[in-house]
Amino acid sequence: MQHLDEGTIHSWLDGALSADEAARVEAHVKECPQCASGVAEARGFIAASSRILTALDHAPRGVVPIAAPKRRVDPLVWRVAATVLVVAAGTLVVLQNGTNKETLMSARAKIEQAPVVTEPTVAADEASPNTAVSDAPAIGLSRRAGTQSSRGDVDGRENKASAGGKSPQVGKTGGVSDYAGAATPTVPTIAAPMVTRSRLSDVAAMDAAAEREQLRVVGTPRRIGAKVTLYEVAPGDTVTLTESIPSYLSSIVVTGAAVAPTAQAAGAIQKSAAPSKARADAAANARESQTAGGVTAAAPAVSAPAPSAQTETANTLNTITWNDSVGNTLSLTGRMPQSRLQAIRIRIERERAAAAKKNP
Amino acid sequence: MTDVERLFRTYNAALVRYLTRRLGDRDWAEEVAQETFVRALRQPSIENERAWLFAVATNLVRDQARKDMRRRKHLALLAEQERETVVEPEETTLERAQEAAMARKAVDGLAERDRLALLMREEGLDYNEIAEALQLSAGSVGTTLSRARRRLVESYEALQKSREEREKNAAS
Repeated sequence: MQHLDEGTIHSWLDGALSADEAARVEAHVKECPQCASGVAEARGFIAASSRILTALDHAPRGVVPIAAPKRRVDPLVWRVAATVLVVAAGTLVVLQNGTNKETLMSARAKIEQAPVVTEPTVAADEASPNTAVSDAPAIGLSRRAGTQSSRGDVDGRENKASAGGKSPQVGKTGGVSDYAGAATPTVPTIAAPMVTRSRLSDVAAMDAAAEREQLRVVGTPRRIGAKVTLYEVAPGDTVTLTESIPSYLSSIVVTGAAVAPTAQAAGAIQKSAAPSKARADAAANARESQTAGGVTAAAPAVSAPAPSAQTETANTLNTITWNDSVGNTLSLTGRMPQSRLQAIRIRIERERAAAAKKNP
Repeated sequence: MTDVERLFRTYNAALVRYLTRRLGDRDWAEEVAQETFVRALRQPSIENERAWLFAVATNLVRDQARKDMRRRKHLALLAEQERETVVEPEETTLERAQEAAMARKAVDGLAERDRLALLMREEGLDYNEIAEALQLSAGSVGTTLSRARRRLVESYEALQKSREEREKNAAS
């Protein structure tokens, strides 16, 4: 009998041969040392391959991703709301400010020229190239708006640029968006670029940008009488969510010591500190009226249970406080403008609602 | 006990293990196994149950894989990135994970037919059942299995060796 091939040896060891064939193979293996070592090797391979395959049994679960959470509010609603807000804010800016006709006329012209048409077909992702342009300056501007209340001298200089709209560094368009930032301190991320461009795709882009920012829980420090959650909203940028039960508190939780000066007070500081009195006056007046307009216009944008209090400390920590549907008092604190806090709050609420739906 | 219940109780564990080894994802494996039993339910009669189930499961994987190959590739990439970044807490996990990764690589390196025959054999299918499920001739199953086992073990050992060398180099 010729030597056994590997397939036959495996078939024999696997018990797949007929009785006759098996007997023949067995007889041969007893006589043939070469085939006997082949059998030994085959046994080794069988055992080893079984062992190797066992290692595959600890397979991970969930390589398939969970479906993305559904948005609670139709994005179209936000777009329409934002459009209404922008038009309202823009109109207020134009109506209430008589000192900067040149700049504001151009802003008004832009609003009127820009197509304020709902574009439901514009996908958020398609609009994303605008994001970098529209989002970044908005935040920068609102930060600057925050600075003004404490640092009149710096502000005075800035006002020159924004009020005049002629400064070589800022330029005309810069002046307009500066205005938007000042005009709507509570929602500059929406309003600032909208005044200059007033396109709904921008809103979609910003909405998308906000969605892309991951709200990540980075810590839950203990505090008596409150549940505290730290969210990371951007790398190195955290906000603190404090949930208190109303019975613990006789009043609203306010973190941060200083209360922001009113727009009028800020204007007064600016007046005294500004190097060029006439220009600063114009700026302060403009800001006063715009701030008033902005606050009015901002209220509907929040579109949630009315905030019970808003307190802003200059240039440091800002806090927004509100009550949720079951009466708990929540406050959100972070080193960022209130507008951004409001936006984050909406997202946190959305996520919490989604989580609550999942685990009632 | 209905027929499908009996089928499920008899073959589900083996089928899921086979599919898990084949796919590297337990959830996906369970999904395919369930779909296989659903298909069995629609079948008026099945002659060789085990061969039929393994053949249907194998075909489902093949069809699905063809359908969303790109998605799977992307997900596998993500999973790999995740594995690189996530450090699991247990001490033994690292060793186990390394072994699993090497085993995965060695199994993936096999020809499709060799891999499937081997995985089916590991679940106890006999040569006739494997031949039926994979549409091979019964005589070629021994050759297929012997080749699969040798290649699997050799490539696993090669991976092991290169890993040991890497570790030695890292230590010195």
